[in-house]
Amino acid sequence: MNNNWLLRVRNLTKIYGEATPGVLERTGPKFDTNICSRTGAVVAVNGISFDLYPGEVLGVVGESGSGKSTLVQMLYFDQEVTAGEVNFKPIEDGNVNLFELSNQKKRYVRNHLMGMVYQNPRDGLNFRFTSGGNIAEKLLMANVFNVGKIRIRGADLLTKTEVPIQRMDESPARFSGGMQQRVQIAKAIANNPPLLLLDEVTSGLDVSVQAKVLDLIRGLQQDLGVSMIVVSHDLGVIRMLTDRTMVLKHGQIVEQGLTDQILQDPQHGYTQLLVSSLL
Amino acid sequence: MGSLLEIVDLEKRFELHILNEKEIDALHDVSFDVKEGEILALTGKSGSGKSTLMKCIYRTYLTTSGRMIYRDGQGAVIDLASATEHEVLRIRRTEMTYCSQFLQVIPRVPAIDVVASGLVARGRSIEEARRATSVCFERLSLPAELWDAYPSVFSGGEQQRVNIARAMISRPRFLLVDEPTASLDITTKDAVIDMLLELKLAGTSIILISHDEHTLRRMSDRSLHLENGRLKEAVVYA
Repeated sequence: MNNNWLLRVRNLTKIYGEATPGVLERTGPKFDTNICSRTGAVVAVNGISFDLYPGEVLGVVGESGSGKSTLVQMLYFDQEVTAGEVNFKPIEDGNVNLFELSNQKKRYVRNHLMGMVYQNPRDGLNFRFTSGGNIAEKLLMANVFNVGKIRIRGADLLTKTEVPIQRMDESPARFSGGMQQRVQIAKAIANNPPLLLLDEVTSGLDVSVQAKVLDLIRGLQQDLGVSMIVVSHDLGVIRMLTDRTMVLKHGQIVEQGLTDQILQDPQHGYTQLLVSSLL
Repeated sequence: MGSLLEIVDLEKRFELHILNEKEIDALHDVSFDVKEGEILALTGKSGSGKSTLMKCIYRTYLTTSGRMIYRDGQGAVIDLASATEHEVLRIRRTEMTYCSQFLQVIPRVPAIDVVASGLVARGRSIEEARRATSVCFERLSLPAELWDAYPSVFSGGEQQRVNIARAMISRPRFLLVDEPTASLDITTKDAVIDMLLELKLAGTSIILISHDEHTLRRMSDRSLHLENGRLKEAVVYA
């Protein structure tokens, strides 16, 4: 097997409630629910495995409640996992399961090696800080302590994400939704992470702003060569950003393939429904 | 000359779960090979399965059964029907390109960068890639004022030229072209044909779909005729 991956995910599982034996077998698309009929436990993510290559952009689509966000939140240690393994090349050359690291080491991975952009800017930004301060926070966590350097890097990042530098010392609370999202992106890439996680980053923005944010993400991907996992329910976003796509339903992968194949020759009934709902 | 691609018993069936499990049989018992350095034409009526076959080779469509044995530039043998997505992406990035019938591009990218990005992905600088693209656009007589405009506002013929340029610019080892001359005037048509023939001289193998007699006569070494998803005998153009 090929060993070129950056991130390797195996059997990642998240259960809310009792993880009784057989719960994974009683839920999923086959049963059209993620709720266990016996215990009422909710299986949010059910045995998901995939490899992500350096510089690759992987799309994750599915309707609300399919487990997309939980999946990336677990990768970013926002949520505890129930089971599963994640290996990441920059850590011990991919030979350890990230979930078995000490909390200190997990923080290191999160602060130095990953970036996350949430759907809601309030989850990714601290509105009591200025936008420059938000970026500084990420840089401080990644052990950059020189105030001058932090200031220059912050201005640099905000320029790159097209946030006016004059507003660097304002709280993002006073920014428009699109601009808040751009500050969040600037913060996420502040430490030059090899992996960026994007969770519904354009949902809720109006279309012209959505277009600008997507163009920004695409440009950054090309310039930095960063690997990305793009979570979206919007196939337009997936088409524009990704090489490969996984389709999730009730916590399981129902189909995965090249993005052009998923869009033009979807195999699973659910994907066919998604694609036919487009336009 | 050796085979570049050998297709064995290819079948393609579309199963439409959302239309009461309706099935569409698109391709049956399709077997043929593509020799290295040849231009193989696919002919047949609309709906006979030509584009479906081409999309199966490019893996935009999954095949239902059969094999597509491809010999890559390093001499490794890969079944495109069952190769992993990463293997297909590698082949697409390094040696196989596809010019679809209609241009599909990422929105808000200028025409010149739509084409140049193919070279940038192969490690060339953006300046160098844009220079090469300009030369290509000039030969295809795409008006210079369009180069930095978005192709979504172009006419059919202009879009088609961007599409062809994008597929040819990297001088791929294996090129799939679907109706490259369909919406072009005769002069531009000949320019496209000349450029494709130059690629062939440099070693590119090409599968060509066309309804245009002029294009077929000038280009194809051999042609295969499809009828209702089945192959009829081959014609060799002398």
